[in-house]
Amino acid sequence: MSIASISAVTDEQVAALRQSHGSVFPGAAGLLRRWWPLLAAVVYLAWSMWYFDFGRLLDSSERVLALLRNFVIWQDMGDWAYRQIYVGIAQTLAMAFLGTLLGTLGSLVLGFLAAKNVMPLAIVRQAVRRVLDILRGIDQLVWGLVFVRAVGLGPLAGVLAIFVSDLGTLSKLYSEAIENIDRKQVEGVRATGAGPLGIIRYGYIPQVLPVFISQSLYFLESNTRSATILGIVGAGGIGMIIIERFRAQLYDQVAFVVLNVLVLIFAIDWLSKRVRLWSIGEKHDA
Amino acid sequence: MLKLDKLTRRFGDNLAVNNANLEIPDGQMVGIIGRSGAGKSTLLRLLNRLIDPSEGQILFGDADIAQLKGKELRAWRSDCAMIFQQFNLVGRLDVITNVLTGRLYELPQWRSMAQIFTPRERAFAIQALDRLGMAHTALQRAETLSGGQQQRVAIARALAQEPKILLADEPIASLDPMNAKIVMDALRDINKQDGITVICNLHTLDTARQYCDRIIGMQDGRIVFDGTPDLLTTQMAREIYGAEADEAFNEAATSTAIPTGPARARELA
Amino acid sequence: MTDIPMMGGSAGASGDAPRDAVSTFERHRAELRASKRVWNIVALGAFTICLGLSIWISQFYPDRLANGIPRIFEYFGTILPDLQWDVLFEGRTEEGRAVPGSLTFWYTDFWDYVELLWETILMAITATLIGAAVAFVLSFPAAANLAPNSWLYWLSRRFLEVCRGIPEILLALVFVFMIGIGPLAGIIAIAIHTAGALGKLFAEVNENASSRPVEGITAVGGTWAEKMIFGVVPQVAPNFFSYAMLRFEINVRASSIIGFVGAGGIGQELNRVISFYSDDRVLAVLILVVLMVTIIDLISERIRLGYIGRENF
Repeated sequence: MSIASISAVTDEQVAALRQSHGSVFPGAAGLLRRWWPLLAAVVYLAWSMWYFDFGRLLDSSERVLALLRNFVIWQDMGDWAYRQIYVGIAQTLAMAFLGTLLGTLGSLVLGFLAAKNVMPLAIVRQAVRRVLDILRGIDQLVWGLVFVRAVGLGPLAGVLAIFVSDLGTLSKLYSEAIENIDRKQVEGVRATGAGPLGIIRYGYIPQVLPVFISQSLYFLESNTRSATILGIVGAGGIGMIIIERFRAQLYDQVAFVVLNVLVLIFAIDWLSKRVRLWSIGEKHDA
Repeated sequence: MLKLDKLTRRFGDNLAVNNANLEIPDGQMVGIIGRSGAGKSTLLRLLNRLIDPSEGQILFGDADIAQLKGKELRAWRSDCAMIFQQFNLVGRLDVITNVLTGRLYELPQWRSMAQIFTPRERAFAIQALDRLGMAHTALQRAETLSGGQQQRVAIARALAQEPKILLADEPIASLDPMNAKIVMDALRDINKQDGITVICNLHTLDTARQYCDRIIGMQDGRIVFDGTPDLLTTQMAREIYGAEADEAFNEAATSTAIPTGPARARELA
Repeated sequence: MTDIPMMGGSAGASGDAPRDAVSTFERHRAELRASKRVWNIVALGAFTICLGLSIWISQFYPDRLANGIPRIFEYFGTILPDLQWDVLFEGRTEEGRAVPGSLTFWYTDFWDYVELLWETILMAITATLIGAAVAFVLSFPAAANLAPNSWLYWLSRRFLEVCRGIPEILLALVFVFMIGIGPLAGIIAIAIHTAGALGKLFAEVNENASSRPVEGITAVGGTWAEKMIFGVVPQVAPNFFSYAMLRFEINVRASSIIGFVGAGGIGQELNRVISFYSDDRVLAVLILVVLMVTIIDLISERIRLGYIGRENF
């Protein structure tokens, strides 16, 4: 009768098993080898909290309270320029729409120029791709700032910023879609004796159009979100109203506008989710 | 002594376990047989409280297991080890850590969170593994082992719990006959050597006859047979298994003896 | 194709069954085509209205565009450095002055920029770590299959939604006001957004984790936390790591622009040079930012692939 019980394990047995199965008993070195990433993260965080002076978070309580109070207590609501606020929101939507539309049109051209199977000239293809890399490499907000400097404050700069950064990303996605198409259909069109543009119109476009449309719709959604903040650098839309009110210390109005923006963002998320589900459902029905 | 009193579990309108009354003395090896969906699995899960009973009592000593909550419930689970058809090991953890999880209830929370185990615990886990002939795999990932090996690791984990009762839910249904025999031998060994009560769901009759002191037959959630293997007549067994009789019943191809004929298809779900 | 309807039409009410079927089909087809045409016109109309409204609201008129576009090229002309080949690699003169036309002259403030880039990367690392830690903790109650109870599930879900709903730069704006100008505000803002974004992804990974190991740990008497640590974490750790690294790449970008509202990093300098000067310094900083982002992406990709490769092995 040998009832296995941990209390029956003698020190001699432990020592003997340590001998025979040494690797199962990790020493300090073994523990360190296992836990060093976590340890490193903790040490780094402790250091960076000192480096970035996280203690300041505790000092600022008075200002925080004042700000939060102003966020919550809304005064003189009758005098708020609601018209301006909602025009700002409409402007944001308009910027996103125009920027995405222009980006899509531009990407239609650049996407084909960057696709290996359409553009045989390596020099052109590579040049286009490098330009796209640069467009992508610079953040939309930086483009916003640059265009504000170039064409002045207002939605025009925002549209251009969305256009340029979309151009970088959409063209790349488009060219990938083009490179992934079925070659046989193109051969079929070529066999009819169509010219290069004819081949693109009848051989490529029918295949890639659904992909293009769904990607552009997705970008419309994400651009609406990013357009709300483009105004922070002066590129028009609701963001500009937020930053104006903020500078004027009208925090209650800031809170109101931000709430509106959040509702807008959630509404767009919901809507685009609906549209996606609906389009998937459509495909299932077909 | 484990006593079930009018134990019932409903899923919607379906009675998975219907008014089960049982008394299982300590140290018995009990096999539960029945066709798929007869409620065997639900009964075992009720005992471990992986699912809650709708009505009735589970008495162990003076305690009503059906009413346990929080720490007491976890204490019960640690006393009442469970073996699963699909082993339920943590595939990406090494074997020794899987066995050590059997000690979790005893561990202070901070030690389990940091995964720190004492040398004594590790030695105990190695002993448990060694008993199943698996000590050499201690540092391998559990998912790299074969099904039979994984089930042996799962039994070692159960042993690490120092259980009073061992529940096994179709422990050999996913294994080939050779491994099935090793696993059933191990369960019987634990039952005989350590005096631990073993309650085992088995799909096939021959295994139950060969290994168990007592057989319980279930049909549509009710206990329809309870007695020693020799009391189970062919007529009775046919009734318990119904349409699945031929498969469960085929004495020629037993699931724990090395088959002479072709391996047969097994229900995996 | 075209003569079939004519046949169907001429058959009239002759009562011939197959012909009737053809005419029914043709009628359906015509209806379908008509309704499709109506939809196309409606869609086109809606599109035109959207376009018109957008142009009107954002005053995107051709004359403004015509005025603006030359100014864009003009602007890009001004930010190009005036490099001269013969002095390109000249160092500083003995008085410590850089020669105009040399790289040294263009990048006079090079080491200041490097320091700011370093700060930017540190901001991204710190924010990613803090955000990922919060996301890690909340991803378990926010996973439908793991949440200990429904109100904790609801609460953690909503919290993560709010965290990722507010744009980082708006948060940074508020934090700059609350705790002052500097990288701390940026870190907090990015960390909050990261917690929300990663928390959602982590929770989705958790929801796809196998329940068997969790059941195994339940059956040995483990607490909820032990089920998560032993049953779930080993399964999801590689995915968590990948997502966190991808987020880090995003956060490097974010921390390079969050300085626009005064929240530290190279963005603050970028904002300053773009807003106050229109000379070659703009391009100098931009090039460095793009370089940094590219290099970080490459390194991070290596680490990710290395880790995943090792995991698969």
